[in-house]
Amino acid sequence: MPYAAREDILGKLKKADRREEAPARPPLPPLTEVGWGTEQLIEKFTENLALQTGVVHRVADRAGALEKLTEIAQAEGWKAVMIATDEVLAPLDLAAWGRTNGIDVLKAADFTARDAFKDAVFDQVDAGITGVDWAVAETGTVALVHDERQPRLVSLAPILNVVVVPVDRILPVYEQALERILAARGGMPAHLNLITGPSMTADIQATPFKGMHGPRRVIALLIG
Amino acid sequence: MKIRTEQFVEIAREEMKNTRSKAFLGLLPPVINAMRQISLATFPDPDAAQAYGAAIRGEVVTRLPELLEEFERNATARGTKVVWARTAAEANAFVLDLAKKKGVAYVTKGKSMLSEEIGLNDALIDNGVDAIETDLGEFIIQLLKRPPFHLIGPAVNIAVEEIRDLFMEKGILAEPTEDPVALGYAARLYLRDKFHRLEMGVTGVNMAVAETGTIVNVENEGNIRFAKSSPRTQVSIMSLEKVVPTMADALHMIRLLCRNGTGQKMASYISFDTGPRAAGEIDGPEEVYCVIVDNGRADLYDDPVARDVFRCIRCGACANICPVYTKIGGYPYGWAYTGPMGQLLTPLLLGFSGTSDLFRACTLCGVCKSVCPAGVDHPRMLLYYRARDAAGDPRLRSRGRPLKERTLYDLFAWGATHPRLWRQGAKRMRPRVNRGARDGYLSRSVEPLDGWFRSRDLPEMAEKTFHERWKEREGHKAKA
Repeated sequence: MPYAAREDILGKLKKADRREEAPARPPLPPLTEVGWGTEQLIEKFTENLALQTGVVHRVADRAGALEKLTEIAQAEGWKAVMIATDEVLAPLDLAAWGRTNGIDVLKAADFTARDAFKDAVFDQVDAGITGVDWAVAETGTVALVHDERQPRLVSLAPILNVVVVPVDRILPVYEQALERILAARGGMPAHLNLITGPSMTADIQATPFKGMHGPRRVIALLIG
Repeated sequence: MKIRTEQFVEIAREEMKNTRSKAFLGLLPPVINAMRQISLATFPDPDAAQAYGAAIRGEVVTRLPELLEEFERNATARGTKVVWARTAAEANAFVLDLAKKKGVAYVTKGKSMLSEEIGLNDALIDNGVDAIETDLGEFIIQLLKRPPFHLIGPAVNIAVEEIRDLFMEKGILAEPTEDPVALGYAARLYLRDKFHRLEMGVTGVNMAVAETGTIVNVENEGNIRFAKSSPRTQVSIMSLEKVVPTMADALHMIRLLCRNGTGQKMASYISFDTGPRAAGEIDGPEEVYCVIVDNGRADLYDDPVARDVFRCIRCGACANICPVYTKIGGYPYGWAYTGPMGQLLTPLLLGFSGTSDLFRACTLCGVCKSVCPAGVDHPRMLLYYRARDAAGDPRLRSRGRPLKERTLYDLFAWGATHPRLWRQGAKRMRPRVNRGARDGYLSRSVEPLDGWFRSRDLPEMAEKTFHERWKEREGHKAKA
């Protein structure tokens, strides 16, 4: 099939009469969010995530975040969690926090093979905890760049996803998050996700509910 | 999937009597339309946002080969293996062959209209590789072996009792329940194990970004993310019009797709793949294949009217608002594509013979065009199809109209262009025609004209023709 198929398809497309050029683009439509200030960004991020049943807690600093996390862990009865090791989570030293609170804090580096990691993240943890690369106020969205510190399944497989968001990482619109990601990495990362609230569906009798395949709940801890 | 488009009229008639379908069609589309309006209103200028989407898609159609080459170049540079397939058979053979080479017992499927178009599931299952739909709605209709009722909610009309019995029979549900949430949770647990052990995931593509070689998927459930995170092999299949020029364009189209499709400002998950997993990643695919499928599209590209169908982004806004779809539902369209977009796409892909009911079942009200975020001019295209079909265009696989109909219209044209004969004829025919009138209206006729009267009336022929009245009037004036 291979090369001939490519040549065939592109050949036909290029042979076509295309004198009828597409008209020039109209001006890019405006986005109101771009003008939002810091407090408004925090407010809108919270409001939009809450619309998707996301729960948002705002804490003053890292110590406050750990305190809140302990509260959540006790309420939920956590025994084990899987964490990312991104630069938002790293300074929190969740390993030490886990030892203090009697919670198994697992991370990708504890596993040498994909299958063992999958077993843990699918079946052995009560929650997945991640930081963010950026957050977007426009829709209460978090942007995660996936790499060795941010495994794909941490924010997906556990039934509860806790996401830690320093408020200075909240931007108005997706374009600004993407711009920063491209600048920092010199191009698109292998895998990027824009996550807005928990997994959901309305496929049975149009009854909406959360937690179809991914997390049923998302809790955001805003720091700052 | 068995194509049933030829039975459009029969199935439509049945569905209009189906109380379940009617109840859902009365309820669901108005709710989605209202949510669409509300979410579009979050744009400072919704019309400008829609128009910009149309401009992007128009540019895609004009620059299609160049954009595909740019996408291929950038995707390949990042390690994505780009594969081209001319036909459904070529695409299916590639995926099957890959599954065999990888030795996988099953693949999970993300919702993909293209895979239904090319019959990928059957091609895999018939050859010993299970293909498991994982979008909840698709999962249900795959088990029931039914066509989609709605683009976004393919099983939304299925009764909970039927889903309960189905899940009990298949061992998906332990205790019977009619609670939609509990049924959904049972499907979650069943499919979770499939995701956990997954070695090869197959998904569709919402957009392919030329500028960066990136594949974009838009979803709410998380099943597509699993298919791109858990297995070692990822296969993304796309029809060739899915490409967009830039990442900025993709973001704008994502905003439009979510608002127009489900009335959401944003779907739960938008995932972007640029090549296989990065060094050091513990999950994510070691290989990413992107299969670009033609399946007859390149042949249509030379037709400047028909190729506008490649603007479509499959949001389904046209169906939710269509006065025909909202009466008959998705089943009569008989294939993967329902509603006005199906009326445009199906005849082009399958040929006009056997699908001509699709482009005739339309009042040309134009409401589809008014909501389309991609600038598709549905009425213009449907009129064009009708004209090409009347002429019998072999490129569109149209057989032309039946001999009797053509002869009749030729006769009419001849009469209408010979005024004297026309007037004579009208005078002679009048008493014969009016004999069938009731209360001043004609409601039936003899074969082959009777079909026309199935849903129409004509006033009876007047005592005097316009020309006769005009002549009399001029005569009176002259006397006065």
